[in-house]
Amino acid sequence: MIATIVDWSDLLQTIGASILAGVGITVAFSVVIWGTARFADLNREDRPAPAVAALAASGLALAVVAAGVVFGIVVMTTK
Amino acid sequence: MSSDVVLVIVVGTALAFDFTNGFHDTANVVATSISTGAAAPGVAIGMASILNFVGAFISISVAATVANDVVNAEVITPTIVFAGLVGAISWNLFTWWFGLPSSSSHALIGGVVGSAVAAAGFHAVIAEGLIGKVLIPAILAPLLAFLVAAVAIGVGYRIVGHQRPGVVSRGYRYGQLLSGGMLALAHGTNDAQKTMGVITLALIAHGSLGAEADPPLWVIASSATAIALGTYSGGWRIIKTTGTKIIKMDAAQGFSAQGAGAAVILASTHFGYPLSTTHVINGGVMGAGAAKRVSAVRWGVAGNIVTAWILTLPAAAVIGAAVYGITRIFGTGALGPLIVTLMSLSLLTAVFARRVRRGAPVAVS
Repeated sequence: MIATIVDWSDLLQTIGASILAGVGITVAFSVVIWGTARFADLNREDRPAPAVAALAASGLALAVVAAGVVFGIVVMTTK
Repeated sequence: MSSDVVLVIVVGTALAFDFTNGFHDTANVVATSISTGAAAPGVAIGMASILNFVGAFISISVAATVANDVVNAEVITPTIVFAGLVGAISWNLFTWWFGLPSSSSHALIGGVVGSAVAAAGFHAVIAEGLIGKVLIPAILAPLLAFLVAAVAIGVGYRIVGHQRPGVVSRGYRYGQLLSGGMLALAHGTNDAQKTMGVITLALIAHGSLGAEADPPLWVIASSATAIALGTYSGGWRIIKTTGTKIIKMDAAQGFSAQGAGAAVILASTHFGYPLSTTHVINGGVMGAGAAKRVSAVRWGVAGNIVTAWILTLPAAAVIGAAVYGITRIFGTGALGPLIVTLMSLSLLTAVFARRVRRGAPVAVS
């Protein structure tokens, strides 16, 4: 009976979107922190090239976080 | 004329419920930010209030579910909605008094279902909507938040594991301004819509709106204002339970718990599921704690919270049914709701006077 009452398509999309957004944002933000911390350490060790690479990774991850947040809000407002 | 008076009482009661919802629930939204030191209590609550207000305007899917998919609008009267609201408010205040983060949303739905069954029998309930859009998501949502927070914090710790703890902690604390903001926005969009849905249901029952109508702008704006004001008024007793008694969190755990909560609530809101933010954020908090160390979660406190969750729907339903019975003693007009309102206000005044005499609410330690 429950199998016919529940809209499994909506429910599975909710589960998928929650996992993707919840885990994705935390992972991307962790990369932001990792990149920033590595940039400071590598700069102190006078290794400019890896430091810039770490900073670039951090910047890219920050862009992913921002894009994820904006995308989520746009999806919410367009239904 | 009589039905107009009842409608005015219902709208006033619904907005009062919305206020208590903000007062009661949003404590859970800001608790993690406060307990990790990411934001001062005043800043966190002020930000949550503004984002609750904004969030109320971004979707009406949940309002549509509450207005059309839980009870049969054709047999609903404004008095039934009123009795359901009083049942929900009563249960909210009872659990607030004891510091239990139960669900305002399920209290509201339980109250309306209980009063509808008391008035018109079980055929007043749309079983398909109640099970498929309320009960199943109610069970899945906290489990999903638990899983998402646990996986997220596990991966996050691996990424930042070898970095200096001070930098990592500071970074996640900054991040909590974002994740806490998203959670407040999510709370506003899901919870304020339940009040919008109930007021819309009353307007349909009154004949002011057609069947399956969307909430008018004044309903959206007044619901947004009520939940924002309730949020700003705070709920310190429940902040303490969620923020410090379930687990002692670090900033990374707070970030992942809030991120998981926001993701689950926003995704569910998109599909019109009237979730409990309380269930979801507590699921996220437990997941973030258990992923680091299972024994870090104070399972006894968590058990008390689960008990409150399980009791919420039936308890609010019983109170809603009883309130409907009391209103019917005075006939089908406005007298019953008026008398119940006066009795409730008298009781509330006595309770708060006692609280004031006893001293200020509990602050976060």
